[in-house]
Amino acid sequence: MPIRETFWNIPHWAEIAQYIAALVTAIIFIAGITRRVLRWRKGRPEKRSGHFWKRIGALITQVFGQQRTLDEKFPGIMHFSIFWGMLVLAAGTALATIDWDVTHLFFGFQILKGGVYIAFELMLDVLGLLVVLGLGMAIYRRYIARPARLQNFPVKKLAGDDTYVLVMLAFITLSGYLTEGLRLAVTQPDWAPWSPVGNAIAALFLSLGDPTNQTLHLIIWGMHIATAFGVLISLPFTKLFHIFSVPLNIYFRSLEPAGALRAANMDGGMGVKEWTQFTWKQLLDFESCTRCGRCQDVCPAYASAQVLSPRNMMVKLDDHLWEKKPRALHGEVVSVDELWACTTCRACVQVCPAFIDHVTTFVDLRRHLVDQGKMDQMLQDALSNLGRYGNSFGQSDRMRAKWTMGLQPPVKDARREQVEYLWFVGDYASYNATLTDVTRKTAEVFHKLGLNFGILYESERNSGNDVRRVGEEGLFEMLVDKNSQVLSKCKFQAIVTTDPHSYNTLKNEYPANGNGRYPVLHYSELLDQLIAAGKLKFSKKLGYKVTYHDPCYLGRYNGVYDAPRRVIEATGCELVEMPRHRERGFCCGAGGGRIWMEEKEVKERPSESRIREAVALEGVQTFIVACPKDLTMFRDAVKTTGNEQRLEVKDLIDLVAEAL
Amino acid sequence: MKIAVPIKFVPDLVEELTIDPSGTALDTTWLRLIINELDDHAVEQAILLKERSGGEVTVLSAEADGVDDFLFTAAAKGADRLIKLTGDFSAADNHALGRAFADVIKELQPDLILTGVQAHNDLDGSVGPLLAEYLGLPYVGYVAGIALDGNKVVARKEYAGGLVAEVEVKLPAVLGIQAAEQPPRYVAYSKIRQVMGTAKIEERPVSNLESSGGVVVGRLFQPEVAERATMLEGSPEDVADKLVGLFKELGTL
Repeated sequence: MPIRETFWNIPHWAEIAQYIAALVTAIIFIAGITRRVLRWRKGRPEKRSGHFWKRIGALITQVFGQQRTLDEKFPGIMHFSIFWGMLVLAAGTALATIDWDVTHLFFGFQILKGGVYIAFELMLDVLGLLVVLGLGMAIYRRYIARPARLQNFPVKKLAGDDTYVLVMLAFITLSGYLTEGLRLAVTQPDWAPWSPVGNAIAALFLSLGDPTNQTLHLIIWGMHIATAFGVLISLPFTKLFHIFSVPLNIYFRSLEPAGALRAANMDGGMGVKEWTQFTWKQLLDFESCTRCGRCQDVCPAYASAQVLSPRNMMVKLDDHLWEKKPRALHGEVVSVDELWACTTCRACVQVCPAFIDHVTTFVDLRRHLVDQGKMDQMLQDALSNLGRYGNSFGQSDRMRAKWTMGLQPPVKDARREQVEYLWFVGDYASYNATLTDVTRKTAEVFHKLGLNFGILYESERNSGNDVRRVGEEGLFEMLVDKNSQVLSKCKFQAIVTTDPHSYNTLKNEYPANGNGRYPVLHYSELLDQLIAAGKLKFSKKLGYKVTYHDPCYLGRYNGVYDAPRRVIEATGCELVEMPRHRERGFCCGAGGGRIWMEEKEVKERPSESRIREAVALEGVQTFIVACPKDLTMFRDAVKTTGNEQRLEVKDLIDLVAEAL
Repeated sequence: MKIAVPIKFVPDLVEELTIDPSGTALDTTWLRLIINELDDHAVEQAILLKERSGGEVTVLSAEADGVDDFLFTAAAKGADRLIKLTGDFSAADNHALGRAFADVIKELQPDLILTGVQAHNDLDGSVGPLLAEYLGLPYVGYVAGIALDGNKVVARKEYAGGLVAEVEVKLPAVLGIQAAEQPPRYVAYSKIRQVMGTAKIEERPVSNLESSGGVVVGRLFQPEVAERATMLEGSPEDVADKLVGLFKELGTL
């Protein structure tokens, strides 16, 4: 009967030596892991418990299912193969050892015998090929294809780490196959064909004859064992540590709404000045980065000027945690320019297979800069204006509702009378002269639909969404206070806004009243609801071929992808998607307070890249946006890319008004 | 080194200005006040000097809407003492303000007094020279840059046409600041809030405001459209011919 003799040809002393080596490995492994865990514990506390089953569920889909990793085909299959191949081989080896040295030795009982053993051999033999395939793909990718995102290391020595992992894994797999092949060449059991790879290798060695093969087997077995223990020992000290840190990082990821930023640390100045002011979870983030660079590929700041790469930031921050002589976090480890370059679009967070939250870390680092008053003059002026006048334009708050002048019927004052919808207009829609038409048109459409709505007139302040993301937490709190005071005195059923930024903070960050948070609707959601309820009927089918740009704070932050698309289709337009859409939508470059900052030298503005993407769509003449800032950003970009004749930027409300 | 910085609040031009029914003053109903920009620079310059060579900075202001917040902001930047003159300053001109500041500053005995070189509502001269006169101290205006040197300072005084002079002044002295060596810094709101809990604003009641030597406003009015403007049209040659004709007509040629 087929039977597994695990330590065939292995002298007793070698078997004992192996267990001693295992013990030493375990000690170093535990010490290495402890060293890392102790480092995380130097961070500030942060609560990440609760929702046990939800967290376990994510471990199953993301670790064992490799869901996000598989979002990209080549690297996804590559990693999936290595992961499952190594997992099965490691589990198989462990099982064989237990089978021989525990159940067989102590209880005279074996699992791996007969049919089970045959199936076991076949499975390991074939799945081992997965590792070979994955490693082959990895070596091709890293050393032949050489995509940009795997290059330019901010920490050069890590190139050795990358090579080490590939070499070690390749050696383990090949030496394992060789050991098996040599064993089969000597013992030549009847069931050898069930190990097709091992058997093929055995055929190569048959001619060498017996004493040679037996010696070779012992030598290669020794090397195989040594490499395996080497990998285990090095796991807490190399990139392999991600096997440990990434599942933890996925388990402990934030389950709060993406749009709710954690309040600033105020202990020892605002934000993070030294790495110990990060929370333990942020430190775990840095230690989970495998440098895959997916974030870099989707980062608008990286695409436009290469100043900021979220990947490089993680690499540098992780390196900083272990510096013997710690350098200054701001200025030496990370540059001020890269911190200000982030648009907080969240594309990096969305694609990270390790579930790292880069944006929160960037904001924490910015908070320290604001605390020190270190920012460019334009941003300083914008913040001063926001503090003094409640808007970034530096105009009087009394001019906020100037756009309503002459509208018939007049827009209701929600402070004075009860309304169903309180329209939070936002700075851009209120003050930007080029947007007045669209804001007025929105009011007219609301009137035509018979909506009972009103605005806060001069009592509205900037919602503070981007003030918070710039890092000015105190000013954000002040704006929230002022708006909340007015809102609490008004009677309404829901807030509606055209601005995704206001939408995000009102929905996710403003304090709850007695009935919980006010329901907050983006106008695309409101229009969608009205269409579904039969209250909004269009008289015309527009028939335009259009494309739609997902605003970051509507899409990635709040998951509103379908409502605006349904509205577009209801107006009888044909929607053609750009390659980067929905979760992969590409930022216009204005978010996170970028619109208030000086523009540094750029290769191509994110908005221009976006317009070129839209222009490449055949027959599309209209570019639909659902965000006031987008309207200004993309109208500019259409001009600067010379596409005025080719593409027209329109607001969603333009389509609705036209089709009514 | 003790530095005193008297500052004043002026109408914020973001709001539309209207004349009150008397026709001699601004209507205060819609008026919003803001720090005089150059006074803000004077505060910044004082803080820079303190950071460079130590000392104590005292910021003084007459009572007005928003002054408390400004004083706390100054404290968050590094000012040591905050003094608010209280009383009815609604009709106070710069002569009155200068005298009121002088009384308090005499008592403070500062080595250096920095103030904004001008404000957009200076009708009766700027505060700096008036203050210097009342204190009997030397004054240098349009200063952008100060180097301390024992009991004297070297002030970089800006002239029209891009000329700069270095003026040596013996202390104590009053300097009118045209620009601080760096733009006024930003102070995070959290810091201001922190300071509000710890800093104290000293109040000094001012009972008699003496404005003699100032000006009396006869009439305050919005710019009025003059009727004499004539637009000359045509090619440059035509316009030149017409101009020559006009000058001759008016007897200037």
